Amino acid sequence: MEMKKRGDLHINGFGSANGGQFHQVTINGKGTVNSDIECVVFDCNGSGTVNGNVMTNKAKVNGNGKIKGNLECERLIVDGTAKVEKNLRVDHFKVAGKATIGGRVKAEEINIKGKLTVEGDCEADLFKAESHFMIGGLLNADHVDIKIFGECKAKEIGGQTILVKHKAPLIGLFKTFIQTQLETECIEGDKIELENTKAAVVRGNHVTIGAKCEIGLVEYTGELSVDKKAIVKEYRKV
Amino acid sequence: MSEELISKKDLLDMAGISYGQLYRWKRKDLIPEEWFIRKSTFTGQETFFPKEKILERIDKIQTMKENLSLDELADMFSPNVTELHLTKEELIKRNIVSSSVMDLYLENEKGSSHFDFSRILEVYVFEKLLQSGEINLDEGKMLLQVLKDHRGLINQKNGELVLTRKLGVSSCLLLINAEEVKFEQGTKIVVRLSLVKCMEEMKANLL
Repeated sequence: MEMKKRGDLHINGFGSANGGQFHQVTINGKGTVNSDIECVVFDCNGSGTVNGNVMTNKAKVNGNGKIKGNLECERLIVDGTAKVEKNLRVDHFKVAGKATIGGRVKAEEINIKGKLTVEGDCEADLFKAESHFMIGGLLNADHVDIKIFGECKAKEIGGQTILVKHKAPLIGLFKTFIQTQLETECIEGDKIELENTKAAVVRGNHVTIGAKCEIGLVEYTGELSVDKKAIVKEYRKV
Repeated sequence: MSEELISKKDLLDMAGISYGQLYRWKRKDLIPEEWFIRKSTFTGQETFFPKEKILERIDKIQTMKENLSLDELADMFSPNVTELHLTKEELIKRNIVSSSVMDLYLENEKGSSHFDFSRILEVYVFEKLLQSGEINLDEGKMLLQVLKDHRGLINQKNGELVLTRKLGVSSCLLLINAEEVKFEQGTKIVVRLSLVKCMEEMKANLL
């Protein structure tokens, strides 16, 4: 690909443009791009909509970005609100704002400090969350590291190491209003440590069930330890 | 389908792998999504796998992962590796195809001696079936024509090649993502070949 000869696309203020191949795409006002974009840097600072797919090296959404197709990039940073209506394929994914993905996510590293909603499956080598998240399908990662800060939901969680910790809310007043719990149907992993988790089934090798957990069934092959404040209806060694 | 299924727990036990490995392989697309079959049991939802296929796949992964990285393995199992280009001589040297079959193929097709992935697959299938003695040359040509006409589909989908004979008349079908086919009585199924499997075999020979 010839990178040097490519031009830039800037939309400042109101405007719309067609897609294509660019070096840099910047949307500062309220801009709409009407077809697919292939570029090196994609920056959305205002309110931007792309009616197509985006393929880029580095994407950053500071304002309100909406992509009505797939997004494929090496690095994605969301500080504002981002919405991808189809699938997201990214190496490094960082969310400090709010991100909504209509399809599935495939990533190497996911780091969330805001809110993430994924309708489909979410796959990563490392999944680190200090926030709210909702995953409609399977959360599949080698290392799952969750600090519960709000309401977290995933249909299933699978991986090697799964750590779920509870983080105390900043202001005690909100405690009663916001439910800080991870809710899931099934957790499967080699090493599992849970807190504040509600799950129907937990299967693993080394399982530690911490405070405020509500687990229907625990199946373990190695060791199991259960906190006094946890409710485990049934457990069996297999 | 009346395939024998195996539960995830039994699978891990039988293959001696951990949850981490299984999920990692799934993530790297070494195990296709369709093999994860969800069923509800008395303990809630459980995942099952087609027993034969998954055990064979895991065995392959385990024997090959020492030499290849997971990404390379994924390339091998995925049906859409299209970046492969080889010449006629290389194919013969690597035992993908014998020189006599290669000549027959080229004579029939009249293409160049540079092979891309689809053509390698065609010539491989041609070789495999002719050498096995299951089909004759005319049927082979018919088969090649079918493969050639649907190149685009074959690279992406789960294709299966079927050759039937009835009363001395043969015909060839290409099934795409089909679960089952039924034939009229008296039809003899000469060949039923999964193209994805062929691709895997072929890639194993190439690597």
